[in-house]
Amino acid sequence: MAARNLAAVLHGKDDLRLEEIAVPEPGENEVQLSMGSVGICGSDIKYWAYGQCGRFKLTDPMIIGHEGSGVVTKVGPGVKHLAVGDRVAIEPGVPCRTCELCKEGKYNLCPEVRFCATPPIDGNLSRFYVHAADFCFKLPDTLSMEEGAMVEPLAVCVYGCQRGGVTLGSRVLICGAGPVGIMAMMVAKALGASAVCITDIDNTRLSAARSLGADHVLKVTTGDCEALAGVIQDTLGCHPHVTLECSGSDQSLTTGIHATRPGGSVVLIGRGSMQPAIPIVLAATKEVDIKGVFRYANCYPKAISLLESGKVDVKPLITHRFNLMDSVKAFEAAKDRNSGAIKVMINC
Amino acid sequence: MGDTNLSAVLYAEDDMRLEEFPVKDPGPGEVQISMHSTGICGSDVHYWKHGRIGDFVLTTPMVLGHESSGTVCKVGSGVTSLKVGDRVAIEPGVPCRVCNYCKTGRYNLCREMQFCATPPYHGTLTRLYTHPADFCFKLPDNVSYEEGALLEPLSVGVHACRRAGVSLGSKVFICGAGPIGLVNMLTAKAMGASKVCISDISEGRLGVAKTMGADSIVLVNTKDAKAVAKQVETALGEMPDITIECSGAESSIQTGIYATKAGGVLMLVGLGPAEIKLPVVNAACREVDIRGLFRYANCYPAALEMIASGAVDVKPLITHHFTLEESLEAFETSRTGAGGAIKVMIKCAKQ
Repeated sequence: MAARNLAAVLHGKDDLRLEEIAVPEPGENEVQLSMGSVGICGSDIKYWAYGQCGRFKLTDPMIIGHEGSGVVTKVGPGVKHLAVGDRVAIEPGVPCRTCELCKEGKYNLCPEVRFCATPPIDGNLSRFYVHAADFCFKLPDTLSMEEGAMVEPLAVCVYGCQRGGVTLGSRVLICGAGPVGIMAMMVAKALGASAVCITDIDNTRLSAARSLGADHVLKVTTGDCEALAGVIQDTLGCHPHVTLECSGSDQSLTTGIHATRPGGSVVLIGRGSMQPAIPIVLAATKEVDIKGVFRYANCYPKAISLLESGKVDVKPLITHRFNLMDSVKAFEAAKDRNSGAIKVMINC
Repeated sequence: MGDTNLSAVLYAEDDMRLEEFPVKDPGPGEVQISMHSTGICGSDVHYWKHGRIGDFVLTTPMVLGHESSGTVCKVGSGVTSLKVGDRVAIEPGVPCRVCNYCKTGRYNLCREMQFCATPPYHGTLTRLYTHPADFCFKLPDNVSYEEGALLEPLSVGVHACRRAGVSLGSKVFICGAGPIGLVNMLTAKAMGASKVCISDISEGRLGVAKTMGADSIVLVNTKDAKAVAKQVETALGEMPDITIECSGAESSIQTGIYATKAGGVLMLVGLGPAEIKLPVVNAACREVDIRGLFRYANCYPAALEMIASGAVDVKPLITHHFTLEESLEAFETSRTGAGGAIKVMIKCAKQ
């Protein structure tokens, strides 16, 4: 029996259910989409495993999923740039458009932003979904629906590299060789970085990083951040200009501060402890700027260009695939450190 | 004759009529404003006399005016930032909010921009006007309606100074001492510029500039741009880092290039002929960047703060007052600059 609109609804910790829901209709400036692929993100796993992610807590049932792509099935009034049949990557956060932050171009920081699968806003792991048309980006024919779903985490990496000022000649340290760390490396190289060193605690992830283009990979085996920074410097041949922290480990943040060249930046893409002890005076007196990122803004077109041009190939990162009906199994594979999963994709 | 919404409507070049105009009720997110003050801009005068500016052509009757303030008299659904009775300055351009320009913070470049008194969109020289609430800025008690109306040209100054990179210690040369040159001067000083030199062909205007804070003035009586550039260097004691060109005159823009220090910026604010001769090799080889601007974006808050805090005093710019019924005379005064007119203000409420 095929349900008209099946959705993966998170009811609470460890309670993900496949349920039939109404098919939504597109309003002004909206499109209805038949969902293609939805990737699983670390934040989705946190909501599922803990019922919360950072300062956001799940209080009511919520459709999960935000790394999505789909095909336009209906077009709402006022939509000019999309037509039925168009394949799109879906940028999941729709801001208010009227506040100062929105008007300054920093819509990711809009306090009223409605972001897929951040409570209480429903995500898009469903068969049909409605979204603001201007946040749906047409995919070139050469890109698959799965690549379309990868645009979301790729946009995070584009934004992180921008915030860090990665450019021609940059030497970059990336902490963490998960999907975000590896894609950040690909973006850094596309931006002209001359060398990228990736660190991780896991050998499998490090060899994946190596095979996907890392100039240097380093296994972290010590808690001595200063010593590790020294090894990184020896490996790269210099202090990195930019550190992209993609592991969520407090230790990596400290290592990044020690390792980064004076005047450089440490970008916090990974999420660690709320209040870690870090050598702040060292960072300050080296003018190593510590910059956070919150999602991204105006990065989808750039991410799609990167994929379209072939400068970045994210297909090797997709290691596991499941159908919508098997969403629970998909989440289990994504969470299990022994599954060897990098990016788990759910096809709707 | 009823006068619920008397408005200054431009029918064709040189054909402005004062007549009753339909009132729009505020929709969701909008407010209706009982208009108080509207200043006249050079562009308003240009539409009146020529019926067009560049590619913007008047084809249907259009209410004039875009530098305004008033009092909120009706609130549309969903509006929480404003209530009836609030005194507001109106940012006249409403963009589409969904295109790339809008989302990257450069909504002034939005191609679907609906700007008051740029054809075909109606302006604010009217008794009642309706506008999106988020483009209406509440005036604190110490800011008058007229100062509120001046936020519009002042925002041009903010945008220009930001794009030019005016900062602490900047030495700035401003070409043209009309209202735009003057707001640029005030803004540059508020942003930390240490010295401002202003040029004009009118001694009277230079006199006003001096009283409003110009450190030095240059009276222009030649088209020899290199010679004027030398005068500027002498007046400032050095070449300026930044030139903000507010006259649009060819020789003045040329002067701007010659005058600016290597590595500096020439901001083109004034608009004149579509094509002019410029010493580009001189600019290029000395890395003097030439930057344009189109209106402003995200400048009203800063402009309002400048006035509210007392960092700038724009009141001396307002030289003439007329009622809405006297709009024709007001426009003529603005056009000729008669009586030392700088900013002519029109009172839109029933007197």
